[in-house]
Amino acid sequence: MRTTLTLLIAASALFFGGCVKEVKPWEKETLAKDTMKEGGPNTLLKSYEEHTFTSKEASKGGGGVAGGGCGCN
Amino acid sequence: MQLKTYLSLPAAALLLSAISAQAEDYVSVQYLNYSESDDRTTVSAPSIEINKDFGTDYTLNVQATSDSVSGASPTYYDASSGPSAYSRGQDIDPDDIEFGNIDYKEERMAGSALLTTRFDNRDELKTGVALSYEHDFRSIEGSADYMHWLDSSKNQSISLGFAYQSNQSLVECDYSDACDGTSGASAALDSDVITTQASFMQVIDQDSYIKASLFYIAEDGYLGSPYHNVVRENTDNTLDVLHEVRPDTRTAYGASAKYARALSDAVALHVGYRYYSDDWEIDSHTIDTEIYYEFGDFMINAGLRYYMQSEASFYSPDYFSADKQYATSDERLSDLDAIDYKLHAYYDVTEDVTVNLGGSFYDQSTGLSAVSIVAGVRYSF
Repeated sequence: MRTTLTLLIAASALFFGGCVKEVKPWEKETLAKDTMKEGGPNTLLKSYEEHTFTSKEASKGGGGVAGGGCGCN
Repeated sequence: MQLKTYLSLPAAALLLSAISAQAEDYVSVQYLNYSESDDRTTVSAPSIEINKDFGTDYTLNVQATSDSVSGASPTYYDASSGPSAYSRGQDIDPDDIEFGNIDYKEERMAGSALLTTRFDNRDELKTGVALSYEHDFRSIEGSADYMHWLDSSKNQSISLGFAYQSNQSLVECDYSDACDGTSGASAALDSDVITTQASFMQVIDQDSYIKASLFYIAEDGYLGSPYHNVVRENTDNTLDVLHEVRPDTRTAYGASAKYARALSDAVALHVGYRYYSDDWEIDSHTIDTEIYYEFGDFMINAGLRYYMQSEASFYSPDYFSADKQYATSDERLSDLDAIDYKLHAYYDVTEDVTVNLGGSFYDQSTGLSAVSIVAGVRYSF
């Protein structure tokens, strides 16, 4: 697992390191759109989806630390 | 470059932290109807979300949900006592042991509040609380997540988050020595969950960014399901139907990566991957992709998600021998894969009001499938 992660991070750094351009704050109109937001424009819809997946599957995590519990077991 | 001259101060603040915050006041009301195949679970869940900025330094997001859950969940039971999760016992006639759906009904109330604080250097601290309550379960959680910009143009950030969750489940006494199993009473069993996550975000160009995260989850306490049974085969060939027993600790870690790119002014693409592994020997891979297409006052959101997991070391759909310390026949801990398709439409009725309607279809290799319908309205102010 540790080797996989190291390779993944190294590959990402190599791939994106060559592509990254400095973007000034006033050039971020596109990045500021709702459709570019992590999780999309509808927060509650994303919550519904995450709740469904975590109650029907055995894994969770990766989407942030705040979430809240449920008696889904 | 001309955009710079048109920006007001709040708008400039928004663009500075474009990836991490949405500076907009709104109220969103959504309604979920979820229905599983084979007359299993149905859920009716109205929700409300309020997002309110206080100047450019504070944003408060409050959410509340009420779930009404009914239906049936598959497990073993002693049919001579009726199809119930509590139809357990020892030396059961083999002909009376059945695996099938047992009815249940739940009402759940959940709420959360998340306060985002932005400092002079535009670093962000998100602090949150979340509560969830059912008649046999309650949960309370506190969380904090600090995001630090690594460069003056706000193109790179790192964040570190921590959450602590305290849960309490009411479980039939035949599981626990804490109370008298013959009385039919329940015992309140606790569990704690600690979640940490570290993330790195990089703006790649004017149209794309990537975010990579590592996460760690440690659970301790009662981690079982009050509604799932197993069958134990004793050395004298008698059969017992018992409450399942899972380990009382679980440690998980994983990594995720998300990439978002605007393919044009109208189309945005999101691609994500998550790897998960825990000491119950469950490994999982999740690939998630979504696309947004805007045209006129409409927006279409289509998504495809693929998930696969290996089974827990103590899972078996069959009977267990008496020497097993842990045992579950809960299909959710089995070797499975699942695919989810979704399609949602949004329409701007006015500049401030947007309505949405859509659905998804979830198909799991265990035979479970589910349809979700979501409808809602959002008012921006």
